[in-house]
Amino acid sequence: MSQQVLWEVVKGNNAFLVKRNGLTLSTDPFNNTGVQTYSSTGFISKNAVGVVSTSGKVNQINNINLVTKKSTKFQQADRKAKNTQSVYASTLAVKHGVHTASRVIRKRFGTSRVGLQRAALRKLVKLNRANAVRRRNELAAAKAQKK
Amino acid sequence: MTSVPLVSVFSADDSSKVTAKHIPLPAVFQTPIRPDIVSFVHTNIAKNRRQAHAVNPQAGMQHSAESWGTGRAVARIPRVSGSGTHRSGQAAFGNQCRKGRMSLPIKVWRRWHRRVNIKQKRHAAATAVAATGIVPLVLARGHRISQVPQIPLVVEDKIESYEKTTDALNFLKRFGAFEDVQKVVSTKVVRAGISKQRGKKYRVRKGPLVVYFNENAKLLKAFRNVPGVEVVNVTRLNLLQLAPGGQLGRFVIWTQSAFAHLDKLFGTYRYTSIIKDGYQLLRPLITNPDLARIINSNQVQEKVQPAKTTKVLHEVQKKNPLKNSKAMDRLNPYAKKQRAAAVAAIKANTKGTKKIKKNKALKKASRAAYNKVAASLNDATKAAVQEEQDIKVKYFSVQKGAAQTE
Repeated sequence: MSQQVLWEVVKGNNAFLVKRNGLTLSTDPFNNTGVQTYSSTGFISKNAVGVVSTSGKVNQINNINLVTKKSTKFQQADRKAKNTQSVYASTLAVKHGVHTASRVIRKRFGTSRVGLQRAALRKLVKLNRANAVRRRNELAAAKAQKK
Repeated sequence: MTSVPLVSVFSADDSSKVTAKHIPLPAVFQTPIRPDIVSFVHTNIAKNRRQAHAVNPQAGMQHSAESWGTGRAVARIPRVSGSGTHRSGQAAFGNQCRKGRMSLPIKVWRRWHRRVNIKQKRHAAATAVAATGIVPLVLARGHRISQVPQIPLVVEDKIESYEKTTDALNFLKRFGAFEDVQKVVSTKVVRAGISKQRGKKYRVRKGPLVVYFNENAKLLKAFRNVPGVEVVNVTRLNLLQLAPGGQLGRFVIWTQSAFAHLDKLFGTYRYTSIIKDGYQLLRPLITNPDLARIINSNQVQEKVQPAKTTKVLHEVQKKNPLKNSKAMDRLNPYAKKQRAAAVAAIKANTKGTKKIKKNKALKKASRAAYNKVAASLNDATKAAVQEEQDIKVKYFSVQKGAAQTE
């Protein structure tokens, strides 16, 4: 379905829309900027990558998941795939380091949609840093407990 | 589209099993999405379930109030007759008065219902059905469909024979629809306002809509106690259920026969509907709405002129070339080399001279010399002052130490 047509339907009202303090924001998992605009609203586009933080177990290295939008003509989840698949997205856990994830993002967007690519990478980096802080604190706490 | 999209029918018992692999999508799902038609039809059709109500026609009028007229230093509004109570002499009847009748009291014969053109209603229903097959729209409506295997979700007719709620629940769990039901359960809220007292205590969200075909189906009873789930027969598809609130994209679960019946119901682009007599599906204004693709296509790009680049004629703020070396270089490209040559020349001149090392001995010696000079200067000044004093004493008979008045 064309992104243009979907935008006309969805821009006025959708489940992810949050209007606060004069700002039009979005909780869309495919939106890496947080602001609802035509280009950043990933769930209506064919090609999108969402960088999502998940509440993971303690001691998990990374609580980031990459949610990549699937562009299938007839939308059926691939049950055989290992990654948690759904009709519209495949989720990949970002486990060790950020490099593979950034490669996925870069491959997805290629040379087009540089703005979106940068937004996704920016969010990935920020989440990664936050994770590092969290992990450091956890390890420190664990050490203190052992003592 | 030359190729017709295909849909799989899932087995009711096992969501990973597909009973029919590739069924063509009914033409309804190709209908252009027209939120304007749906919105118009929905606002009008939603009025049709209203029950007449009215204000008591005698409300506020059960007085023998009369205006006191002019000359009594009061407003001319009718006033309650009689005496012996606070109420007497108070204003009555007007909408502005306390205890007065409202302006334009509601009558039972208010036009509660709206009729909408049949064609419009049919177009709206068709669009709403089409929207249920588009994942982003279902997501935008707020349904939790991340675990659902396929949109549109078509299941074999076996579910029509479900009698027990447990069967229904397990079926929903198997197909990832239970997340939507959970959403409904967790967001059940006590309604704000008076409707609480009028039998509408809770506000409950809409969950999945199950559409069946066979009239003898028992699944209505199985599903009706599951919160949020609605069950409807294909022949009685309701816009108020397909697009609740006028918002497109309800999460719908079709049975196989219901799904197959859609082509007869709405017709296709090749033949008009059999059941909706003579109804032809709406044709899109644009066959290819993907603007980006059109613009980037070879056919368009061939004809299009190259993009104009903004030509900067001059900089916004003038830079002084005498002070700003880059500005100078722009005017005189040779200036850069001149500057470099000057620097090189200076370097060449200073190449032979050794850099003077400040050593301590030299420092001491120079300091000693300086002190010597300073001291001698000091002595000289002192001597001069003394000499002046002596001369004054000698020739002007000034007493030693006395101040000079001159």
